[in-house]
Amino acid sequence: MSQFDDPSPKSQLTAHEQRAEAEALFTSIGDGAISTDEFGRITRVNPAAQELLGYSEEELIGTWFPKKIVAVTAEDKPITLIDRPITKAFLTGKPIAEKTYYRRKNGQKIALSVNASPILLNGKPLGAIEVFRDITLEQEIDRMKSEFISLASHQLRTPLSAIKTYTHMLYDGYSGKLNQSQKKSLNTIISASDRMNELISTLLNITRMESGTIGVTPKLLRIDKIAEEVVKELSLTASSKSVKLSAGTKGHRSTSIKTDALIVKEIITNLASNAIKYTPESGSVSLVVRPQAASIIIDIVDSGWGIPKDSQDQVFSKFFRAHNIVKRETTGTGLGLYLVKGLVDALGGRIWFVSDEEKGTTFSFSLPRRDISSGRIKRD
Amino acid sequence: MAKILVVEDDQDLNRAYGIILRHEGHDVVAAFDGQEALDKLADFTPDLILLDLLMPVMGGLEFLQQWSGTKKNPHAKVLIFTNMENSPEVAEAYKLGAHRCIIKSWTAPHNLAKVISDSLDGKASVIRQKQAAK
Repeated sequence: MSQFDDPSPKSQLTAHEQRAEAEALFTSIGDGAISTDEFGRITRVNPAAQELLGYSEEELIGTWFPKKIVAVTAEDKPITLIDRPITKAFLTGKPIAEKTYYRRKNGQKIALSVNASPILLNGKPLGAIEVFRDITLEQEIDRMKSEFISLASHQLRTPLSAIKTYTHMLYDGYSGKLNQSQKKSLNTIISASDRMNELISTLLNITRMESGTIGVTPKLLRIDKIAEEVVKELSLTASSKSVKLSAGTKGHRSTSIKTDALIVKEIITNLASNAIKYTPESGSVSLVVRPQAASIIIDIVDSGWGIPKDSQDQVFSKFFRAHNIVKRETTGTGLGLYLVKGLVDALGGRIWFVSDEEKGTTFSFSLPRRDISSGRIKRD
Repeated sequence: MAKILVVEDDQDLNRAYGIILRHEGHDVVAAFDGQEALDKLADFTPDLILLDLLMPVMGGLEFLQQWSGTKKNPHAKVLIFTNMENSPEVAEAYKLGAHRCIIKSWTAPHNLAKVISDSLDGKASVIRQKQAAK
């Protein structure tokens, strides 16, 4: 009989055989695996875990897992017992997947992807199991990707900046007076370089998002201040179209929240510049920060052309552009809102909109006040 | 008229900013990396520094760190002029005392002139407030 023929039903295995099989399964897991009892004492540890952590089985069995294996943040701060994945899995009764750092026996810090699950018998937690994998190499590749994208962005834009600056200088008469036909040609170069610039910006951000190389770094910040910064930065674009751009806060709750400042700014900037673009001359765009008990909502309200009812379900799809807009505004990639949705998801938020054709659109997104975890985001 | 130090490694852009700012009546000195900017600060006291971030020899962030160590002309305003949109480098530049950040490839010459003029006005008003307080 070959090893693949006629396997015995599990019920025919003796209790001893079943234990031996479970032990063999645990030992042969390629990733590190540690199980604990209900008090967090290590009951089993496989060879991969011993190799990753630098401890022998004898040094680990029976010790209190959170004390023996110290978990730290990327900034080297100790992670408290309550924030350890295995504690969370045991207390919530649900599997937890996180990235964290453990300190090896020799003091070295290793980056790990951790999956912790409770061990339940008849619904009662008997302990927990943690399976972890070294992600040092992945992190290094992510860092290199991120650096490359940053550099590529810079290198693509430098010649574009020169094209745009010198074209503007010609247009503004730095090299002599021009006739209307010459100015019209220069305007075409300027708008083409703007489109190229916008495309570089969006494609790079989407590449970052889809490859998971946008880092999420939560810090305490004031959303109203970020909205004001965006208004300041977009004021020239708005005034060139005579669009009134403003920011304000509704309500008395705090506008402080722990989230990623750069990503929030990217979201607001994208939504606000979209609103300016799709609002006719002399219209208005206002950013309204509405702090709630469990979240902060940010509305971007415009008096623009609106989104037709029959296209509203596709707004966050890649490359979507509404048919009423394509006729009026030929520039645009249909990638901006796809990007924004991915970024809002990454911050644990929600995005929605209300739109009336010819009256205007209000895009709203919410950011949760509960802590979001650090790490990399990835769009499926 | 103000004294402006332009720190930009791209020769074409550095030249263009010089032309635009001189046209506005400013006194402009050019440097092509952070180290050259530090050297120029030995005998030029700008009201404003237009600073690129990614440059050879010495980048903008290192320039800001070294410059704050020298304490030479600490009141000069720093405008970051970069293409690294929404990057951690920009956030770091703000921490190191940058006043404002402008994205090069989005900024037309007349807008550059306006941002500089606004920044200088802001500086003038801070100085006026300080004098009034005395």
